[in-house]
Formats: sequence, structure tokens, C-alpha cells
Amino acid sequence: MNAVQRFIRSKVLLLTAAILIAAMCLSVLVQSQSQAALNRTVDENSRGLYDVLVQAKAPAGALLQPEIATGTGGISFEQLESIRKLSGTSVAAPISLVSRVTQNLESPRLDAMDYLGYNAGLAGTATADQAAGATAPEQWPAAESVLSDEPKKYRLTASAVSSDGVSEQTLFKSTAEGSLGKAKLVEERAAGGSSIRIAAPEGETGIKFPAPAGGSEHNLFNLSVSLPLAPEVTESVVAVDPAAERALLGSAGDFLAPLEKAPPADARDAGAIGRYFEGLFTTGISLDQLDEGPDFLGVKLKYWAPMMTQYQQARRSGQLTADSQAIPLIVRSGTSLDLTYNVKIEEINDAGKVVKDVGTVSRSLGKDYLPFVSKEPFVLSWPGSTDHSSLLGAGGNFNQGLYTPAKWSTDFAAAPKYTDGEAAANGAVGKTAVPGEWVTVNRLPEKSANGAPVDQTQREPVDERSYRENLAAGEQAAAPLPMVYGTFDPAAVAEAAGDVNKLPLGGYDPTPFTLVEDAEGKDVDPKELEPSLSATGLASQSAGAITDYYGLAAARGYTENADVIDAVRVRAKAPGSWKEAQPEVEKLAGDIRAMGLEATVVAGSAREDASIFVPGYSKDDAGKESPLGTVQQSWVRQNAAEAVTGSLSGTNVTLLFLTLCGAALLTGASTVSYIRKRRSEAGTLRAMGWTQRRIRSWVLEEFGVGAVLLAAAGLVLSLVSWSVSTALVCVAVLVLYAGAALFAARQLRHRDVIDQEPQHDERLIPVDSPLTFANRQLGTNKFNTLALAIAVGVFGAAVGGLVALLIDIPRAAGASALSGLAAAAVALPSILLALAGVVVGLVLTLVTGRFELQAKRQYLGILEAMGWNPDMLRQVRLFENALVGTVALPLGVLGALGIGLLLAPYAALWAGVAGLIAVLCWIPISTKVVQ
Amino acid sequence: MTNPTHVQRSRRSGSGEVPLQTRANTIVKAADHATPLELSDITIRYGGGKGGAEPVSVVEGFDLTLHAGEMHCVAGRSGSGKTSILTVGAGLTLPTSGRVFWEGDSLESMGDDEIADRRRALIGYVDQGGALIDGMSALENVLLPAVPDGEVEQRRDMAKDLLDLVGLGRRMRHRPAQLSGGERQRVAIARALILGTRVLVVDEPTASLDRASANRIISILKDTTNDGIAVLVASHDHELVRLSDTLTELI
Repeated sequence: MNAVQRFIRSKVLLLTAAILIAAMCLSVLVQSQSQAALNRTVDENSRGLYDVLVQAKAPAGALLQPEIATGTGGISFEQLESIRKLSGTSVAAPISLVSRVTQNLESPRLDAMDYLGYNAGLAGTATADQAAGATAPEQWPAAESVLSDEPKKYRLTASAVSSDGVSEQTLFKSTAEGSLGKAKLVEERAAGGSSIRIAAPEGETGIKFPAPAGGSEHNLFNLSVSLPLAPEVTESVVAVDPAAERALLGSAGDFLAPLEKAPPADARDAGAIGRYFEGLFTTGISLDQLDEGPDFLGVKLKYWAPMMTQYQQARRSGQLTADSQAIPLIVRSGTSLDLTYNVKIEEINDAGKVVKDVGTVSRSLGKDYLPFVSKEPFVLSWPGSTDHSSLLGAGGNFNQGLYTPAKWSTDFAAAPKYTDGEAAANGAVGKTAVPGEWVTVNRLPEKSANGAPVDQTQREPVDERSYRENLAAGEQAAAPLPMVYGTFDPAAVAEAAGDVNKLPLGGYDPTPFTLVEDAEGKDVDPKELEPSLSATGLASQSAGAITDYYGLAAARGYTENADVIDAVRVRAKAPGSWKEAQPEVEKLAGDIRAMGLEATVVAGSAREDASIFVPGYSKDDAGKESPLGTVQQSWVRQNAAEAVTGSLSGTNVTLLFLTLCGAALLTGASTVSYIRKRRSEAGTLRAMGWTQRRIRSWVLEEFGVGAVLLAAAGLVLSLVSWSVSTALVCVAVLVLYAGAALFAARQLRHRDVIDQEPQHDERLIPVDSPLTFANRQLGTNKFNTLALAIAVGVFGAAVGGLVALLIDIPRAAGASALSGLAAAAVALPSILLALAGVVVGLVLTLVTGRFELQAKRQYLGILEAMGWNPDMLRQVRLFENALVGTVALPLGVLGALGIGLLLAPYAALWAGVAGLIAVLCWIPISTKVVQ
Repeated sequence: MTNPTHVQRSRRSGSGEVPLQTRANTIVKAADHATPLELSDITIRYGGGKGGAEPVSVVEGFDLTLHAGEMHCVAGRSGSGKTSILTVGAGLTLPTSGRVFWEGDSLESMGDDEIADRRRALIGYVDQGGALIDGMSALENVLLPAVPDGEVEQRRDMAKDLLDLVGLGRRMRHRPAQLSGGERQRVAIARALILGTRVLVVDEPTASLDRASANRIISILKDTTNDGIAVLVASHDHELVRLSDTLTELI
């Protein structure tokens, strides 16, 4: 029988070679595949809309705060131009916070037509002297009002509630009572004819809310019930360079196209523009023009009404001067501000008791809300009422005073103040955020959001005050007028910015906060914080409007080339992935730093949730402050690509190493098994006169066949996937196998010395129970016991490693957007490798368990023949396995802990627990199997 | 292929001839309750499982009534079913058909636990080659049957006496690996007797032993019958066959 035949006949050797080849292929292929997937994922997702963030001050720490438009400025237009002239610059897009504009939303009104019922036949026909063909008064249809002919007493309770997503806050609540009845059309004889008016029924008092709210009023067709003033809504305005911004955002930035067509600064005379629109109405305007908006220098200004109304009001109040400029705006569609206005209507009797709950009407700011434009954000509808607004003309109902002009102010809500706390094991730094206060109008915050002192000289406070009044001269200053050029959807902008490695564009797509722990530190269902009118400055909504830098100059007032740019987002010309572009991007950043600016290379970074504890979030009536809890917000982890690649590559290499360790143990176990099987054969051969050298050759030849197979597999592997790790793995496996061969050859040598076993040691624990019997058996076969215990320990450790990976992958996915993607890319290969480790551990236990299986069966048979009942035999097996498990436990638990610490430090404890459970589970399973 | 047929003979007192033992009828309950072991119409077949192998009938219609103080020898060539009859008699395996009675009680009506308990009290089984437990001394091996009843300490002196009886009083601390084949066989016999067994089932006690060692084993077995212990022995040792009271020769 030649060596090949002997190799095939020796199932142990064949199995060992097969397992080693499988382990080699699996580890190499999986490792190389997962490394390729990892590199590909990281490369594809490590370059965002821009590569370098330029700011005046250096941000502290490795985490970049999401808000980069803070109003602190620090970069001049000259510097911007210099950046654009750098050879490596493709796009340099500046951004600044212009101001915050406070709007008084229109007071809610109850539409009286709902009570009266609209009389279509009446409109326009009832004039002086009954015209021929006009409907006679007695034929007028009856009013459809829900009100009675006789006035009844009603109580109206109005309230405004704002919510930050966690708790509601009632901004005001007011109640008024009075009587309302069905109005009547009354024809009155007047000089030269008759007139028709709507008259309140006799005895109606109307409902008047306390000052400063108005009362009730009858006019031509409306009973207008004025309610307390709605809260002020503050909107932020940011300035961008529309051309650069479009280049940055691509097609997602098309909403800025109209802003590019806005007239230059010297053609933005608010008076001239206002007169132009007035002229349109003087000369007449078609309904189509009203729908689409009149053409203004090539742009259809759909939202022309705000400009008109504010022009008229400013002119009447004397605020409109020759210096007043129109500010072109792209306004946000919809709002993230939660504001609900409720009016509860109750019918009451003379004693004030509620007779009937008529209903509650509610309206909220919603997706149709447009800052600076909103026509009737709070028009209320009576239960069961009909919408008659279309009868007033589609968009053509333009009445003076319909819009309350927005008040431009320079109020800034300070960004939250962040303080670093303890650092976690993964480098995440706990932060504390104190919500920002509303700060002084004329001074900038003392410190910027990142803690750097703010250069106060970049602003000219006199100019800022000019929008309110000239304190020195006592004159009313020029008022800028908003001119709406279009709208934008913040969600579309956020989508364009992407979820991975894209810094927020700053100012018009703020990153949301999510509450994850309450004030007591208990986990809560994640709730996204929303901006609310109980302004804390913690969560802000998207900018209300975007203008250009001429608009910024008009609104804020600054001397030419003042340092008003908050940040510049620079994209490098270098194409390709982050790895490919890195040298060029780094060089560009270096050039920018040479200009005295702070340049942060954000390509290769990724979003990561920062945990922020928020104290002093709310105050009770006594002024006692309460914390909010812990919120999470996506910040940007710098150099995440390297960290992720390094970390996950480390995981792969560790898994590779562990797989090889498992293969080594398996080889050791199978070699011992081989030696046991071949010892008698070797003895026979010796008896036949074979020399020691001949027997060694006989063994090595068999191993040689396996080595050739391994070498061939290694060669194929190297051809398929050549890398240093492939070579290392192949060489390591071959060395392992060669070592096993030499060990086997040595063990099968001729024994010159007959083993002399010592006599029985009486100090041993006497055998008087299944437990002591099992103990004696294990003690007698120490080698096998230890081998089995190691195998079980390896199995436990492998299970722990697998559990650690399973726990860590979702955690990694949640830690950082990039690390999540990368982890997902290598999750399957990693789990496959870990599963291979578990299988190796299992096979090890089977192989080593078989060493004693025959002997075990034999002595169990003897015991049975001696009358040991099945239960006692089961106890023997159980105690044996329990004792092996006891020895294996420390190995399994410590091994699992170690692997957990190597692969996933966060899951190390769980890995240890899993190792413990795996070993404990092995005990009864093995007991059952041995039976 | 093993021929299932067998010839049973009993030795005629004084003449040296062994008369045929009467074939046991199909008895549910043996008439004589003092009979420690009775095998009735035992058939043992192997194979015929899922592998599709043809079933091999080793023993067919085997009857045996073993009385106290009697030695019955089952002789025959290798593979004729000697060991199978012994393991069936000791209740270690179930016959394909037929019944086994211990002191008149059928094993069919007993559960595994009861069989184990009854075996401990009734049967002493000595495996071929005298299988002992490695790692335990001769004395500990002898005491093993006392473990289930927790009588290890109580029977320690008796175990020493038994080892003395089989000539191993000086080797009771030795382990199986330090004993010769004959010595291991004797330890196994001592172990089988430790609980005061009434039936000794011994498989090939003299196989691969020299004549002197074999004679010593035979002598011990014969002595046990003198103490009223029934001995069922499987052997083709002529001396043992000659000294047995009854004989079944498997063909």
C-alpha cells in the first residue's frame, strides 16, 4: 500500500487536510472579499458634497459641530476670492447667517359667512334703487347660519400651544363671552336710493376678547371675531452665493435658480419695485398673471403680494426711504415649528353654565406655511361650515392690511453651549448642552458655538439699528422689503446632503436632536425634538429664507468686504474616491491654512451620534430649572474612514488569526488521534524488523500527501487572491501541518522503556458514588480530559466571539453612518468566519471526545453488568461532562472575553456570558450524545 | 453462518456421561422459584436492520434451567453464540424471542431499573478477559458493585477476603495494568461475588491463560458452586467442560 493509499485510508489525516484546506480557503477568501467590500464601501461613502470646511476659528476636538452658519463671520470676500483662485479649488460656496426675522402671524378670525350663509344671488345686485331684474328682497334665500335668529350667549376660549416634540407649552389662553345671532340683510332707504347692509340681530353684543385683542365687527359680508394675537414666529435667513451653491448641490440646488436672476444691488430700490407692482394693478393684470405671478425682470414672482403690502405699509408709515432695498428671498415651504391654535366654542346660559359644547376648531402651521408669505395661516372654520374663500377670487383678493409686515430684527438665538464630558471606550465624548438664550440685539454673542471668542468689530451696530430707528437723529430708518423669488423644500436639501459623510450645509438644514434618555437617565422612546415657540435655542428649524450676499448687506449692513462669511465649503478638483483624491485635498487644505484660515478636511469623515445631556431646559413657576435628559445629534467624526478601515481590518485580521488558532488546535487533536490509531500498527512494523527511520518515513510519507494537497490549495489560493495575508496563511498552515507530521513521527518511535505505572495511591478520593467514579476516570485520563476541556473551551470562546460580532455589528451601524455601512459590508464575511470558528470548536470537541469513547463505552458496560442502574450510569456521564465543563469554563469565558475585547469591546461582557452559556449547554448535550 | 442448533447434555452421576437436559417448554412462570436462572425457548438473531443485511440466527429455541450449586457450561466454537446466551442470561441484552426468569420472575415484566437492582443482588457477571476499570486498584474494582447501595465501606473487609480467596491478597493495591490476565480474571470473579451473588455468569474465564492460571480459575469457580452458587460459564476449555455439572454444546 503506497503513501497515497495509506493517506486516504487514514481518515483522520484526510479529515485534517480537508479541514485545513477549508479553513485556509475560507479565511483567505472571506478575508480578502470582506477587505475589498470594506474598502469599496468606505471609498464610495467617504466623499461628500465638499471636501474642506473653511472657518475662521478652529473647531475644538475631533467632532465637528453640525451648525456652521452661526452669524459670527470671520471670512472676508477677498479671502473667498483667494480660495476660489487656488488651483485645486473646484467650488467654494460661502454661507452666512443673515439674521432672524420675527413675523407676527395674522390673528385668527372667525369667518362670519359661516353663520350667515352666503347668498349668491345677492352679490353685486343689491344696489341703490331696485334694479330691473334684481332679485326682490322677499325672494332672497334664507341664511344658512348655525346661529339662531335670537342671539344666544357663547363663550370662546382661545389658546395657542407649542410643542418641542417632548412636552407641550401653552403660550396663552384667553376667554371671552358675548352673544351672537343670525345676521340679517337690511335694505335701507338712503339719499338717492336704497342700500343693503348686514345687520346684527337685535340684542347681539358680539364677543370681545380682552385687550389688546379686538372684538367682533360686522362689515359687508363678514362678521370678524378678532382673537388674541398669535405668537411671533422667528425665522432665520441665511445668505449663500446662488451660483456656487447650485454647483455644490447639483440638481438639488435648482431651487436657487431664480435667486441667480435677482437684480444686482443697485437695482433693488424697494420704492421703485413697489411702484412697478402698483403700476401693474393700475394698468390692469390678467387672472393668469395673478396665478403665475407677474413677470419681474424675467422671473415670475408668484408671491408678489408680501412685497406689495409691505411696500404700501412702509410708505404709509414713513419707513420707506430712498435707501430701502428689496431683499430677494427663496423661502422655505412648510415648517417644523409646532404651533397649534385652538378655539373652543361653548353655548352658555345666563348663569354662565355650559349648555352645549359647540366644538373646538384647531389649526396648525403645516406644510403649506410659507414664511413672509402666509396669507391666512390661522383662518378658522366653524364646525359644519363651508369654505367660501374661492368666491373671493383665486389669489386675487388683495386687500390692504391683509398681511402684517414682518419685522426685521437682529435677534440671535445663541447656539447651545457645549461642554465635553467623559470619553467612552470608542472615543465618543459625552457632551453637555445648555440651551441658548435669546441674546442682545446689537451685540454678537460673546463666544461662537464652538467656544471661540467672536470678533465684535466685524459688525457695525449703528447700521443694524438703522432698521428700527436712528437713535441719534430720531428719524425712522429705511426698512428692507422682502421679495419672494421662490420656495425650497428642506427635506430635498437634506436628501441631497446625504446621510453619510456629509456635513450639514449649515443654517438651512440643521441636524435634528433626538431625546433618548429622560432627566433621570432612563431610556425613553426616541423622540425628535422640534423647534418650538418656547424658544430654547436647542433645536432650530430650517432657515425660513435664503438670500444672496447683496441681501445680507441690505439686511445687516456692513462695509464692503467685511468679514461676514461664516464658513466656506470647498470642493477640490481632484476626482475619484477619497483615497484617490486625498493628496490633492490635503494640499488644498494646506493652501487654505496658509491664508490664515482654519481648514478642516471633512472628506473621509462621517456622521456620528453625539450624546448630549441638557440641563436647565425648563423652569417651573418658582423658577426652578429642570434638565431635559440626554439627546443625540449627528455630529461629524473626522478621519472616520481611516478609523473605520483600521478598526474593521483589525477585526478581520483577528478573525483570521483566531481561525488559524482553531485550525492549529484541530490539527493537534487529530494528530493525537492518528497517533493512537497507528501506535499498534507501528508496533507490528517494529516487530517485523522495521527500523525507527523507516517507520518515521512511513509516517512522513502519509503526511507528505496531505502537505502536497495543502501546498496545491495554497498555490491556487495565491493565484486567485494574492496578498501578503494569503501567503502568510498558506505558509502558517503548511508549517502547522509539518509540525504535526514531525510530532506524529516522533510519537510513533520505538519505545525502549516500558512504562511503569505506580501502584494505586491510597490518598486518592475513594470511589463510592457516580461523582467520585467520574472524578477518578477523568483523573486517570488527564491528557484526554484536558484535551476535551480545551476543545470545549475553544467552542465556548468561539460562540462568545460570534455573539460579540452579532452584537457589535448593529452597534457599529448605529455609531456612525460610515462605520454602519462599512460594518454592514463586512458583516456577512465576519459572521461566516466566526461561525467557522464555532464549527472548528465543535469538531474539536467531537474529535477529542472520540479519544475516550471506546473506553467510556467499555467501562459503562462493566458498570451496567455490575448492576449499576441506568440513572447511575447517566449520573456518571453527567458528572464527567460537568467536571470537564468546569475545567473548560474559565477557558471558554476568558477566551470569549478576550475575543470580545479584540473584536468588539462593547460586547465583551456579552461574549463572556455567551461563552459561559455555550459551555454549560455543552454539558447536557454531550451527556445525551455519549448515551 | 452460525448453525443455530445445539445439543444439551447432562452428566450422569458417576458415569462421566452427560445426559440430555430436557427441553424447557413454554413456561410463563417457572414452577421452582428456587431456580435462580432459567432460559426458556431463547432465540437470538442479529442484523436485519436498516442496512438491509440478512438477519443471522445465532441461537434458536435454547432452554436452560440452572439450579443452585450447579455449574453449567456452554461450549462451542467461536461465534456460536456462547457470549450471547450469557449476556441474555445476565439480563444485559434482550433475546429476539423467549423468556428469561430470575428466581422465577420473568424479566419481561421488569423495567430497566428493576433489572439493574435484581442483577446486582442475583447475578455476578465476569466479562471475557476480566474487564476491569483502569485507574482503580484491584480492591476498588472489587468494591464497585457496592457503590449503588452505598455499602463500599461495609464491604471493604469482605472485598479483601475475596481477594485473599482468589489469591490476590497482596496485590489489592495494584491497578489492572499491573496485573496479569489471570489475575485480572480473578479480580473480576471476586468483584462478581462481592454482593453475595447467587448466579455467577462467566465468559471464557480461561481463554488465553496458561494451564496453571486456568486451573486456578476453574478451581475458584468450582469452589463457588460448593457454596451454593450457580455458575453459568461459557468456555471450550476441556477441563472446565469436564468439571461442569451440565453442558450445552452449541454447534
